[in-house]
Formats: sequence, structure tokens, C-alpha cells
Amino acid sequence: MTDPSAPLALTAHLAVVSSISFGGFPTVLPDVRNFVVGTHGWMTNQEFANLFAMAQSIPGPNMILMMSLVGWKVWGFPGAVASAFATFGPPCTIYFATYRIWDRFRDTPWQEIVRLGLVPVVMGLVIAGGTVMARAADTSWRAVVVTIAAAAIMLATRLNPIWILVIGGALGGLGLL
Amino acid sequence: MTEVAQQEEPERAAPLTALFTAFLIVSLCGFAGGIVWARRIAVENRHWITDREFADIVSLCQLMPGPNIIGIAVCIGAKTRGLIGTIAAISGFLIIPWAGGLSLGVLYLEYAYLPVLRNILGGIAATAAGLLTATGIRLLMPHRRRPTALLFAVLAFGLITFVHLPLLVVLFGLVPLSIAVAGVGSARAQ
Repeated sequence: MTDPSAPLALTAHLAVVSSISFGGFPTVLPDVRNFVVGTHGWMTNQEFANLFAMAQSIPGPNMILMMSLVGWKVWGFPGAVASAFATFGPPCTIYFATYRIWDRFRDTPWQEIVRLGLVPVVMGLVIAGGTVMARAADTSWRAVVVTIAAAAIMLATRLNPIWILVIGGALGGLGLL
Repeated sequence: MTEVAQQEEPERAAPLTALFTAFLIVSLCGFAGGIVWARRIAVENRHWITDREFADIVSLCQLMPGPNIIGIAVCIGAKTRGLIGTIAAISGFLIIPWAGGLSLGVLYLEYAYLPVLRNILGGIAATAAGLLTATGIRLLMPHRRRPTALLFAVLAFGLITFVHLPLLVVLFGLVPLSIAVAGVGSARAQ
């Protein structure tokens, strides 16, 4: 259904976009959609959206999985493997090199200054991420209570978070939220 | 790179199997916010790194391209065991969940969502939102006595939550400002 250069084009494209996916892979998802659906017509818009929903609901590395399924669609198993490597390989190399440099200069005065400036901004973003998730998940006041209770238990105790999640999932499964 | 790896202090040494298992768990629980689990295991349970180092790693990864959680795996592996640690952490994070997810994914398209499953996922999502918020608050705690740190945390939070600015704009707009303010502050203190 596709010409032999298709898997190569997909792999190369994923390697490029994963290298510039600042803020996580979802930021480049619109570009990947244009490439896969628009430029090459490897799948329909609906199929792409289904792959996204599916990857989101399976535990594990969602975006790497989603790109692998796109690769699967184009070139079967080898396509899935190639897409996976193209998605995580370049960022991992960048992470490793950057962290090496950071760790080499630990306890230098400039690093302390960068830390004092950087960490609060990022933690503000993490907390905002929790709020954004809550806004999507909390469809009733009971769900809001569950979110707040989960945060409070997490902060006040050393209870393993898995139990908090199990309770939340059970409440949802019983139709109480 | 292997030379660098051999310079690691022995007290940081973490078994490769433990790194593999740790990031396997982080990966499988990723839908509930991977950093919740990464902090729980690496800082609280195993004492591989401190809260300060963890906050550094999360922050650095936020500035880099790519999936941030796998970046945390790369950095914690590098910190504890060098390159081989990174490979163990990435392998734990990827191999089993990827193989399982791909098999499920190929089957999954055939079946519609079950309502009960959707309700359970809804309850988990509500809980996970609380856990993620709590982890952010906890990592911010060491900075709670600095008014400028709290100001920038609130700004980052507000610009995303209420103003709906894109993440990249907030990140690359606030970080240089925040670092500059911290630099002026520490110059004054000396």
C-alpha cells in the first residue's frame, strides 16, 4: 500500500520532530498528523485520533507507543521498531549529554543560581499540569473531592500512591463519581 | 562516556536490576503522572538521589525536547550508574510496556470502550490529578521561604491555568527572568 521509501521518510521525520519536541511529544503531534494524514495519506484523520485515544489509555510510554502504531500501519513490525527508536533515541541522547554537563558543574555558584530560578517555575508548571488534569477529570463535585483528598493524603502521609489510585478507581467503578 | 561512568561515587551505586524495575513501574504508572512514581522510588524508597537533585532533573528535562519522564529515567540512571545505568533505566521504562502496549494496541482497535472501564479510568484520572499536584507542591517546598520563588511559581501556574498561554511561551519566557532575579538576589546577598 506504500512505496518502499515510506518507512524511511516516517523514521527520518519522527527523528527530527522528536529532537525539537520541547515541552513533550504532544507539542509536535499536530505536525506529525499533517505529515502522516495530510502529506502522505497513510491513514485517515479518524484513525489517527483513535490511535491517540488508545495510546493514552494504555499504561506505558504513550507517545512512543502511538508513533510505533503509526509505524506499524506503514511498515508492520519493523516500522513499529524504527518509529519507536526515532521517537525516543534523539531526546535520550540530548538528556544524557545535558545531564552529564549539569552534573559536572554541581555545587558551582552559577548552578545554584540557575536552580533557584528554574525549579520554582517548573514546579508551578507541574502543579498547573495537575490542575489541567483535574479540570478534564473532575466532571462532578464528588470527583473534585476525590482530587483534593488524593492531594492531601499524598502530602500528609507516606502511603503508597497505588492505594490512593486503587480507591479512586474503585469509587469510579462503583459509579460514585 | 564509559570513563565518566567510572567516576561515580560508590554510595550512589544502584543495582541495574533495581533501576530496570523502578522505571518499569514508573512507565506502567505513567498515566498517573510519572514523576509521582519516579520521586517516590528514587528519593523516598531507594535514596538514590535527594529531593534537590530530583527537582534539578525534573527541571532540566522540562527544558529539553522529548518525553520528560524518559528524560528522568536517563538522568537518574546516569547519576547512579553512568551510561549503563541509563541503558538499564530506559530498558525498564520501554521494553515490557512497549511490547505489551503494541500487542494490546493492535487488538484494541477492534473493541469499543466498556462503560465500567471508562468509569474506573475516570476515577483514576481524578485521583491522579491530585497526586501530580501534591508532588509539585512537595518539590516546591524547599523554596517556600523565598518570595520571588513563590512569585514565579504562581506566575507559571497562573499563566497556564488561567491565561492559557502555551507551555513553551511560559517556560522560555519565565525561566530567563526567574534566573536573572535569582542571580541579582544572590549577588546582593554576598
